[in-house]
Amino acid sequence: MPRSALLTQAARPLYWLMLAAAVWILLRGHNAPGGGFIGGLVAVAGSSLLAITLGPAVARRLQPLAPLPLAMSGVGLALLAGLAGVATGMPFLTHVWTDMGLSTVMLFDVGVFLAVWGALTGYVFALLDNGRQTP
Amino acid sequence: MSHGSHTETHGPTYLWLAAVPLTLFLLLAWGLARYDLPWRGEVSWIPSLGVSLAFRIDGLSAQMLALITGIGTWIFVYASGYLAHEPRRGQLFAILILFMLAMIGAVTADNLVVLFLFWELTSITSFLLVGFNHEQASARAAARQALLITMGGGLALLGGLVLLGQMAGSWTLSGIVAAGPALVDDPRLPYALPLVLLGAFTKSAQFPFHFWLPNAMSAPTPVSAYLHSATMVKLGIYLMARLDPAFNDLLFWEVMLIGTGTVTAVWAAVLALRERDLKRILARSTVSALGTLTLLIGLPSPGAGLAVVAFLFAHALYKAPLFMVAGNIDHATGTRNIDHLMGLRRAMPLTAAAAVLAGLSMAGLPLSFGFVAKDAISIAKSEAEVLLLVSYATVFVNAIAVAVAGVAAIRVFWGPPESPRGQVHEVSWRMFVPPLAIVLLGIEFDFFPALADPLLLAAARTISPELGAVDLSAAYDLNVLLSATGMTAVVGLLFFLTWDRLHHALHRLHWLDRFGPAALYESLLNALTRIAAWQTRLLQHGRLSGYMRLTFLALLAMGAYIWLHTDSRVVLQWNWSTHAWAWIVACLLIVTGAGAALLLRDRLGVLMASGLVGYGSAVLFLFAGAPDLAFTQFAVETVLVVVAASVLPRYGRAVSRREPWRWVNGVLAVAAGAGTFLLLAHLQGLPVNTELADGFGRMSLPEAHGHNVVNVIIVDFRALDTLGEIVVVAFSLLAALPLLGGIRKGRTS
Amino acid sequence: MSLMLMLGISLTVAAGVLLALSRDLFRLIVGLAVLGSATNLIVFMAARPGSLIPPLVEAGTQQLSTAAANPLPQALVLTAIVIGFALLCFALVLGAWLAGNSAGDADQLRDAEPAATDAVKPPVLEP
Repeated sequence: MPRSALLTQAARPLYWLMLAAAVWILLRGHNAPGGGFIGGLVAVAGSSLLAITLGPAVARRLQPLAPLPLAMSGVGLALLAGLAGVATGMPFLTHVWTDMGLSTVMLFDVGVFLAVWGALTGYVFALLDNGRQTP
Repeated sequence: MSHGSHTETHGPTYLWLAAVPLTLFLLLAWGLARYDLPWRGEVSWIPSLGVSLAFRIDGLSAQMLALITGIGTWIFVYASGYLAHEPRRGQLFAILILFMLAMIGAVTADNLVVLFLFWELTSITSFLLVGFNHEQASARAAARQALLITMGGGLALLGGLVLLGQMAGSWTLSGIVAAGPALVDDPRLPYALPLVLLGAFTKSAQFPFHFWLPNAMSAPTPVSAYLHSATMVKLGIYLMARLDPAFNDLLFWEVMLIGTGTVTAVWAAVLALRERDLKRILARSTVSALGTLTLLIGLPSPGAGLAVVAFLFAHALYKAPLFMVAGNIDHATGTRNIDHLMGLRRAMPLTAAAAVLAGLSMAGLPLSFGFVAKDAISIAKSEAEVLLLVSYATVFVNAIAVAVAGVAAIRVFWGPPESPRGQVHEVSWRMFVPPLAIVLLGIEFDFFPALADPLLLAAARTISPELGAVDLSAAYDLNVLLSATGMTAVVGLLFFLTWDRLHHALHRLHWLDRFGPAALYESLLNALTRIAAWQTRLLQHGRLSGYMRLTFLALLAMGAYIWLHTDSRVVLQWNWSTHAWAWIVACLLIVTGAGAALLLRDRLGVLMASGLVGYGSAVLFLFAGAPDLAFTQFAVETVLVVVAASVLPRYGRAVSRREPWRWVNGVLAVAAGAGTFLLLAHLQGLPVNTELADGFGRMSLPEAHGHNVVNVIIVDFRALDTLGEIVVVAFSLLAALPLLGGIRKGRTS
Repeated sequence: MSLMLMLGISLTVAAGVLLALSRDLFRLIVGLAVLGSATNLIVFMAARPGSLIPPLVEAGTQQLSTAAANPLPQALVLTAIVIGFALLCFALVLGAWLAGNSAGDADQLRDAEPAATDAVKPPVLEP
């Protein structure tokens, strides 16, 4: 794959920028357009950009976890957010708020974010790996 | 069984498990001594459906419980000896325990649904136990047969119980019995009763479903003794006895029970003569006894209830020991064929003693509980003025029972010893004590009827509430009884002496088997397999496009059906608004994309064109007040380019293939398009229900603290759906990873 | 909803069905994707969108203005887009894996299907 020098140089900063944008979209999602799904997709776009320009290995390194564990931890986090309600005696997935504005809703949305990010980057990285092995 | 080798396999013998039924038995005895029947208990389960875990123990239940736990105790002792060489005995004991609990649940359940659940659970455990020696094809086939027949009957039973529950307005057995007379005129009764009876008849192996029980003898002997003689097959009898007070006055009930019972009893007695395998002979005679029980329930006299419970009790007390005896003989000699068994008395004296005592009871001779039972039966029959034919039939059936008792207790033990094939010797104490204990118990009840009388009378009053106070053993008219017993005994002796000749005569009639119900079952099962193979080849041909065609056709057919059954108002309108230009652009993008995807040959082109559909949708969302959707769709399309571009080379070059079905495809596509148009036009004419949306909009900020209503719906109001969705997303990767690995390997090799 | 959009969606569905009925595995999968998009549009259109105002509760108010767009179909379609995309990825990978054996011919897939020559074994119970 031919790479432009400019893109190679810009890839890392661009990745962090997109990731920051993704997190911002995630966090504002409850009150403005955005949320876990969209944020996750933007993060996937960022990771894909990095994987195309510098290779999936680099992109993998700059993720907190490998794709599958990342996706599963997202699901786990969402489940955990749901169990918080059970712990306070309410039905599963009843959300709990604290005085400081933190809530299990945010935890749940982060779970959605991680699940989307992990699952889709899993596809992208694995497919790009394959492409790289071609002689 | 691996007899001959006397090396016990290591590991626990599970003898201690006998403490479980024993504890339950003692609890029952203690409860009966202290508290008056009936006992009730209820735990709410699914209140909206009227299902509650309602249990009720009255006399009949208590009698069944006494049999289940009392005989169960000895069965567990026996099994620990019988299975000493069986490496998988842990499994067997686990299923036996499960069966016992299911059986206890079935005879104590008052709620109809709970009864059905436990009823089916006994069928399933029976299936597992019959198929325990699953290496043998015949054991597997027998297990499947038992399952199909009892489960098929179980389905009918469910239908019948639901109907009865609706008719009585009560979902309990006691409620149905209480409502009994009022149900007689209900138009649903002609459907409910046959269904219930079908369930009971299949479970208790009544004609024409009698053939599964002898085949079920491929189960290990403790199972045969417990499930297929003493307890499970009595479940159908139990249900009929329980419902009898409600329907006894119905002619249909009477005719069905007496007719089926008589036919079953006689036919099974004849078939017993055809068998050479000791266990199968006993199984046939069990079926015969079950037929007699059904017949007795059908009798309208108040004494019938007493006869049923007495015979039920007596049968369990002699048949279970006889099965154990058969198992001991099998264990010691390696065969159950009565032609090869003779003179075992010397080698196995204690087993022989148990056999003789059980045989006495089975023959209904004095000194045994069977005598008491027979007495109750003849009283019931003299009260009820049964048809002469039925009377003769019972004499015949009893005579065969005498002959079977003779075969099991005398023929194999007396006479000159067969030349010993290996060393025949008495089995371990765990195998001869249980049958002896059970038969001695029966004899004890004969001498001290006061021990069992209260329980039996309480059980009999459940069936025949009008039964007065009776002293069970003192009730009989000695002369009548002795003459009847004497006649039976003489005819029975005749059958016993001519057993082999009768056997050969009947054997010559084996060609008749081709027309029997067992053959019908076989051919139905064969037909089922053939139909399955035929339709599998028709529908699962391996052509994916064919599957798709079928799917679309089915969808269109369903849509057309709904369309034809709705009052359709098609509304077509062209409303121009300020942002309509954006919609036009979006629409053009979408249609162009779809069309181009169809027309282009190059794969990358097809992919890009399909992306246009997505981008067009995104534009539409953006100008329809849905920025969230627009964002999502744009992001998805962007990532899709990366995924698709890297997967595309795996598909190879696009080959244009002949589409043999292209005209059909075209018609289907046009129909789908037209159907969509009709659907959308129809939607135009319907009012919008915004109740939910308004509710979400109202509650979003005050209750869920979020301004973005879409996001609040996703993460809060409908969070469970979202959780399911991210699980699917994450697991799709899990499913794809092995495939991705496979693609890589295929590439490098 | 304008007539034009109804026509557009219908044409898309027709094209999607035709693609999905193709013998070529790749076109089949693309057809499913197109059908997915079209279905999203149908669900979205079922609520008769007309408002340009996103369903956000405005600052200072307590509830959603009646002029705002209906949030319910949006929530439905949003998750449908993401889940549809995940399944499309899976289908593309599965198709690529299958293409190795069938040269991408959707009518040559035999994994679970019995061959026409497989014998039918009737169950036998020993007499």
